[in-house]
Amino acid sequence: MRLFKLLAAAAVAVAVAGPASAFEIGVIGFQFTADTHARVANAAKDAAEAKGWDVTLLNSEGSLPKHAEQFDALIAKGVDAIIVAMGKPVEADAQFEAAKNAGIPVITVQSGASPHALFEIQANEYKIGADAALYLLGLMGYEGKILESRFEMNAASRIRGKVLDMVLTENPQVEVLGSFSMNRTRSWRDDVRTGMQALLLRHQGQVEGIWVSFDGQAYIIDDLLQAQGVERGQIPMVSVDGGEETYRRIADPNSSLLATVTIPFEEMGAAAVDAVERIVVNGEPKENITAGPYLFMDAVLVDENNVGDFLKE
Amino acid sequence: MGRYGTALAGLGMIAFFVVFAPNFASPANIINVLKETSFLAIMSLGFMLALIVSELDLSIAEVSSLAAVVCGALVHFGVDPLLAVATALGIGFGAGVLNGIGVTVFKIPSLIMTLGTAAIAKGFGFMITKGVGFVGRWPTSFTGISRGELLGIPLLVIWLALAGFFSWFLLAHTRTGARMISTGEADEAARLSGIDVKGMKRLGLLLSGVFAAITAVLLAANLSSAAPQMAGDYFLYAIAAVLLGMTMFKPGHPNVLGTLFAALVLRVLGNGLVLLGAQYYWQDIILGLIIIGSVAFSASVLKKVAFSI
Repeated sequence: MRLFKLLAAAAVAVAVAGPASAFEIGVIGFQFTADTHARVANAAKDAAEAKGWDVTLLNSEGSLPKHAEQFDALIAKGVDAIIVAMGKPVEADAQFEAAKNAGIPVITVQSGASPHALFEIQANEYKIGADAALYLLGLMGYEGKILESRFEMNAASRIRGKVLDMVLTENPQVEVLGSFSMNRTRSWRDDVRTGMQALLLRHQGQVEGIWVSFDGQAYIIDDLLQAQGVERGQIPMVSVDGGEETYRRIADPNSSLLATVTIPFEEMGAAAVDAVERIVVNGEPKENITAGPYLFMDAVLVDENNVGDFLKE
Repeated sequence: MGRYGTALAGLGMIAFFVVFAPNFASPANIINVLKETSFLAIMSLGFMLALIVSELDLSIAEVSSLAAVVCGALVHFGVDPLLAVATALGIGFGAGVLNGIGVTVFKIPSLIMTLGTAAIAKGFGFMITKGVGFVGRWPTSFTGISRGELLGIPLLVIWLALAGFFSWFLLAHTRTGARMISTGEADEAARLSGIDVKGMKRLGLLLSGVFAAITAVLLAANLSSAAPQMAGDYFLYAIAAVLLGMTMFKPGHPNVLGTLFAALVLRVLGNGLVLLGAQYYWQDIILGLIIIGSVAFSASVLKKVAFSI
């Protein structure tokens, strides 16, 4: 009976796996509790399935060991290609190398370059960081006091923060009142809420702008500001990432989130699949897509002037 | 059937994957599964050794993460890997001693004491790293501890075998092991028969800390990186492995063979489902169902054992 039920459960796995087809890819997202990871991975999955490919979609749940294990399993499975969203190529260097040795091409998205991957698709985080920082300072007239909400564990967010630091050294009239960097990756929302609430209370009445490293943090801070009765424009907030919720808030007359730099996550996932098709299926040289280790995609600054172009009907 | 029912079900699951999951039985995949099992199994053995003396060590994952961070930091900054490993093991030892003193001297329930230790370890992990893990291409004298081979056998498998043998030998063939078991099954009776119950509890918690640190060293060396909470993923799985292990071989009792086999089953399940092409959310659902199902099927056996004590 026991054996039968276990086998039945495993049979469900076969059912959900679907029938085998000629071409198969693995898509690994590092942490689906972060919307952006899921957006890239889901877009890659959808684009691949639209081509009639089999897709194994995996979530590393923010765990480095699990990330490495999933790589190993996909290599053993013998998939035709692997797409990694916000992965960890340095930590999983051995697995990236094993994939290369097994003849499985790997394309990473917003993960950082690896000598064992074909190339990395990313937005130019240095430009994004500069766009966001300068826009916020522009809203403040290049003077005043700000709070920072950072995320140093993530390479992209860290770069944005470093660019902000550089911009601030050239604008000494802007003073950083306080800085919070989220540490927890799984319970990060609670981490941000607690940390920023403390900073806002400590500096009540002094804050004239808030720089935020990514939109997920901005939503939480925006809710805190609204709960405190802060009106739109009183404490301008600028962030990075984009997405439906961000656009809704930028258009919302009660929200303090005034602008974001939109990274085309869905397009990145689709571009990775397109690259797999051109290189692996059609046999085009990788250089036809990009000569170097990076394929850059444009990010656009969205504020109340152009948010209508991004809001869905 | 009661003693072996869950184990047979596990074997049935493995057989299923051998037949239906592409490349499951390939040598490379089997080695991968065994290597991946080693981290979970070693940590689970530590948790089991604490449970043997009837104490819960909920700090294993955070202590392991802190030990990995310290070990990784030392290697990252060029300290001799031997010293780094010794320091990591010292952290596990220290955490075990701290838990043992808290439980036996200050009479703090282990559930509370080890939660406190876990919070402290997590705090230190973040204090050392500021949230940014240590990552690099570290010397092979360190990474080889985990990635190396001996006579063609992955060292991870050898470390696992050594940890398993140590635990089995301790519990099955030493007077100390017998005293630990007596302490866990009936501590008052053990005390009346002259056993140092507090000492046995301290030993169980100390071994749990040391096993967590061994896992930390192997993880850091394998991933060539160390970050806060990097072992967090193993916490629930380690508990699941020990509880699942208690449904087989010696039903109702934490045991080495059951823990090792349960850890293997849990890892096989994750690996096999990926090979079958199941999406990540199905993996969690099926894993949960199988854990609940396996324990539920053995519930009658567990009840019998409970009433027989």
